[in-house]
Amino acid sequence: MFQAKIKADILKKMIDIVSPLVNEVKINVTPAGMSLRAVDPAHVAMVDLSIGASAFEEYKADETEIGIDLDKLASVMKLASSGDTVEMELDDVSNRLIIRIGNLTRKIGLIDTTGMTEPKVPNLNLPAKITVKASELLQGVKASESISDHIALTATEDAFELFAEGDTDTVNLKLPKDLLIELNAPEKCRSLFSVEYLSSMIKPVKGDQPLTIYLGNDNPIKLEFDFADKNARAIYLLAPRIESE
Amino acid sequence: MGVNLGDLLTKEKCSLKDLSGKIIAIDAYNALYQFLSIIRQRDGTPLMDSQGRITSHLSGLLYRTANLVESGIMPVYVFDGAPHPLKAKTLAERKEIREEAEKEWKEALEKGDIETARKKAQQASRITDEILQQSKKLLDLLGIPWVQAPSEGEAQASYMARKGDVYAVASQDADSLLFGAPVLVRNLTISGRRKLPNKQVYIKIEPELVKLEETLKNLGVTREQLVDMAILIGTDFNEGVEGIGPKKSYDLIKKYGNIENALEAIGKHDAIDENTLKTVREIFLEPEVTDDYKLEWHPPDEKEVIAMLCDEHQFSKDRVMTALQKFQRMKNMFGQSRLF
Repeated sequence: MFQAKIKADILKKMIDIVSPLVNEVKINVTPAGMSLRAVDPAHVAMVDLSIGASAFEEYKADETEIGIDLDKLASVMKLASSGDTVEMELDDVSNRLIIRIGNLTRKIGLIDTTGMTEPKVPNLNLPAKITVKASELLQGVKASESISDHIALTATEDAFELFAEGDTDTVNLKLPKDLLIELNAPEKCRSLFSVEYLSSMIKPVKGDQPLTIYLGNDNPIKLEFDFADKNARAIYLLAPRIESE
Repeated sequence: MGVNLGDLLTKEKCSLKDLSGKIIAIDAYNALYQFLSIIRQRDGTPLMDSQGRITSHLSGLLYRTANLVESGIMPVYVFDGAPHPLKAKTLAERKEIREEAEKEWKEALEKGDIETARKKAQQASRITDEILQQSKKLLDLLGIPWVQAPSEGEAQASYMARKGDVYAVASQDADSLLFGAPVLVRNLTISGRRKLPNKQVYIKIEPELVKLEETLKNLGVTREQLVDMAILIGTDFNEGVEGIGPKKSYDLIKKYGNIENALEAIGKHDAIDENTLKTVREIFLEPEVTDDYKLEWHPPDEKEVIAMLCDEHQFSKDRVMTALQKFQRMKNMFGQSRLF
């Protein structure tokens, strides 16, 4: 059983967070809330998302799994205005998810979740922790998009830095410790990442919201942020680019 | 080549676009064989450079890989290793067919019978060590990964698919399903048009998916039973039982559960000897595979590709450059490591 009401904005946010990586997902439903973990087909990035029952206006659920095509969910959510409340109900018999927005009802045929395995979180060694306003980081990433397909992120004891280098141009964004919400880097950490992936992961975070970054040396990056008034949390992992010789 | 499961497979049409963003392990021998047999002139003469060296495989590898990559597919080619001793007979038979076909091709050419010449030339296609070396070299220059299987290429590719490292195995024959690949893609490495054998008719070829789980569900058998069905029909590793095709084999396994019971029931219990049965089952269910591979894509080395294809083998530089540009679609994956 699954029956819930939620603000359209939260559901849209969930789609924005997950859909850059995967379209078909398995959502785990428990009495405590909804969660999902998925990797993109190339195994480069992972998303781990949980929305607590408290993020919903109404929430009644037993343990179950919902396999859904996010493109379908996104197409119906486009019809919802900001501030709308969305009703969701699982129809076990016809295996469909019923979505109600005002007087509109859309029934979405679900996908078979057998064979959709839960990816394991790899072991990570990420000594540096940085918390930054999402908008600050996004500015640097956007500036890099036009000149290179990868950027280097570096954390030292007193600053967090982004650097991109193209054939002729460079972009550098340096955030000293006092401009950061938190910086804890016991050693210098530096890894290289794809701009495209990174940008698609930072965009869903709203402007001034804090974004926590865990960084290592030639290790994946872990990005963590809350939404829905801290009743929901998203974690991204992104594998690094290997420095070309 | 491979087992003939006929219409027993559950197929679904798909487009290259549906496979975008996915890693696909391509059965390299199967693809090369297709390139060598299809990419030929009207009278069956393969593409050749000015010194008469065959270049059909290089042409196929470059242009087909470029098209896959342009569709967002990330290919990895898997090459056969040492064949299992049980395959020796199949290989010897294929060699005989090729040699016979080569003779008939030349005869047809002398008579000016272009239609027969082409058909025979296709049958005479063969993958030499030189072709393998050149293919691997070209893939390296294109920045496309390839894996050397310890034994059967399809077994290795299927293992990678079972592990979740790749989404599917691309091959024309269905053996990868027996090897346990969750998804098989057919018609991936041939172009959109294919000539029907013996006719001047072209049909449109579209990729199709065969999902193991769905096929087993629809047939109501296990993978072990599917392997038993294949062994009854005949595989690259055993001859099969005379008079048993896909339909009959399915009925027998469905009714009697396994080969031993089925053969007993039809009074042919010695049609397949015990040792062969055990070995062939093992080949499919516990094949020799390796974890020693890296799936990494790199930017093509344009200068070296042009040196190899244009300078050495007289490919058109414009066409090669156009193909190379398509590899930029993968730039997001160049040097990109993976989470697992």
